[in-house]
Amino acid sequence: METIVELTNVTKVIKGRTIIDDISFQVNKGEVFGFLGPNGAGKTTTIRMIVGLMGITSGDITIGGASIKSQFEEAVRHVGAIVENPEMYKFLSGYQNLVHYARMSKGITKEKIRETVELVGLTDRINDKVKTYSLGMRQRLGLAQCLLHDPDVLILDEPTNGLDPAGIREIRDYVRLLAREKNMAVIVSSHLLSEMEMMCDRIGIIQNGRLIDVQHMKEFVNGSEVMYELEVTPSEAALSILRTYYPHASATLSSNGVAVELPKIEIPNIVKVFVQEDIKVFGIKEVAKTLEDRFLEVTAEKGAATRG
Amino acid sequence: MVNLIKNEWMKIFKRPGTFVMIGILIVCIALVGIIIKAQHNDKDFVQDSNWQQVLQEENNALKQQLAQSRTKIEKEFFKKEIAINEYRIEHDIPTREKYTVWSFVKDSSQLIMLAGLFIIIISAGIVASEFNWGTIKLLLIRPINRTKILLSKYLTVLLFALFLLAILFVFSTALGAILFGMPEKAIPYLNYFNGQVSEQNIVVHLLIDYGLSSIATIMLVTMAFMISSVFRNSSLAIGLSLFLLFTGAQFTALLSMKFNWAKYLLFANTDLRQYFEGTPMVDGMTLPFSITMLLIYFAIFQFLAFYVFKKRDVAA
Repeated sequence: METIVELTNVTKVIKGRTIIDDISFQVNKGEVFGFLGPNGAGKTTTIRMIVGLMGITSGDITIGGASIKSQFEEAVRHVGAIVENPEMYKFLSGYQNLVHYARMSKGITKEKIRETVELVGLTDRINDKVKTYSLGMRQRLGLAQCLLHDPDVLILDEPTNGLDPAGIREIRDYVRLLAREKNMAVIVSSHLLSEMEMMCDRIGIIQNGRLIDVQHMKEFVNGSEVMYELEVTPSEAALSILRTYYPHASATLSSNGVAVELPKIEIPNIVKVFVQEDIKVFGIKEVAKTLEDRFLEVTAEKGAATRG
Repeated sequence: MVNLIKNEWMKIFKRPGTFVMIGILIVCIALVGIIIKAQHNDKDFVQDSNWQQVLQEENNALKQQLAQSRTKIEKEFFKKEIAINEYRIEHDIPTREKYTVWSFVKDSSQLIMLAGLFIIIISAGIVASEFNWGTIKLLLIRPINRTKILLSKYLTVLLFALFLLAILFVFSTALGAILFGMPEKAIPYLNYFNGQVSEQNIVVHLLIDYGLSSIATIMLVTMAFMISSVFRNSSLAIGLSLFLLFTGAQFTALLSMKFNWAKYLLFANTDLRQYFEGTPMVDGMTLPFSITMLLIYFAIFQFLAFYVFKKRDVAA
């Protein structure tokens, strides 16, 4: 896979406070990269640095091989972006807004504008003033604005903020489509975990300005170990047995038994032990962890590690 | 660059406020025209038959005053009046002229102040509004560097200024021609410079007059643009610039009576006509001095605007 966006040791200091601390990662063509973190973690700041809205204190960002610091025009040529809400000129029509941005890049024809409008499904309303648009339509116009010049990288900061479920789904579908069909690299930031789970191929987790993890979505959600819930009685006895046999696995009491995180291969052994110890086993089921569980877990762990 | 200016032009003219401004300007010209027309009576106009004699007497009186006066400024003033009067007698150009279209254009050029107000409003908003609307983010992530974007905005403001001044000039000429009629023969404007009196075509004179009166406006517009770019606050830019537009000249005049350093102030230098038709505000000021001061102020304003705009972290 071809790397298109690369951040190397990017640091941002504002008024003596380190907002972004030594972040490095790459984004490849054709993938959707999720940027996940709680509010105030530095997602938006990082995105602003990628598109050149904010200066970089140290380190560098390259897009398509050109540095955003020293070759701004060459680097940003590859980028289409919505940074936070897609604010457009409300007193202009949707079409005039697009013409406005089309004039600022080279070689965008009227035909191309029309095509893009069709792609985002605004053909009927494109000549109305933007102030009459709903939030969803503005979001789509924002998307049209960043697709006009066929960028290699699409950057969407909180693209689903304030959208209804249908709108969210629409954006998600576009994003997946663009990455797959046009081989674009898409960088999406959000604090909504479920949404990222459905949209992204890889995610980077950012907390307190540090990038604490970059993983493939599937690996991230599942991890190497899976959680199992064992329906057993008496559960206290079962728990103490688990703790003696597997001191490293985290075992807890759950509503109707115990929950334990173990490799699959260990399950038959546990059952055997339970049977020997006269503990009744009613059922065993695999509990798929949600991104949310993993996220909270990872941020808690790494947060503690970095702090300690 | 042409495309960027087109964009800015579109953003100015797609807002109703702009048309309100143009409308107010036109209405004001019309009002001035109507008021002057009402006060003015063509039938009263009779040329004194002995005007040459009157002028000669006036000149004698002026010469006496000249001999008595002590200050250089006064002397210059009397010399000028005498020279112009002599020129009139010699070339048969009567003092009292019929009120014509050109007199009206000259009178209505006072409205440059009003046009200046509107230009300042546009100038103050052109950068700050982008921040208010949040559109600055989408504007600055285009493959165009920030210097070009800001330059296109400044050029657009200048174009808009030219546009309003053109409206003022053309409309007052048209209205003047309708209300007061064209003069039968073109009466030249008598220009006094460096002790010499010369005739100047009245239209050329009026255009130069427009240009010179606009200098103060352009400097303030540049200042408003700078404030707008540095502080991202259009209210501050409008408020401060308008305050100076209306009071700057008076304040500077007051200061200049007491302090010599007042000549370094912007407003001591904006009215270049003082070197052509009057006396400088502070003794010892010359035309090259004022032009240098204006250029320094201009450079400072532009440097601040561009430097801050280029370095700014956009976090709005």
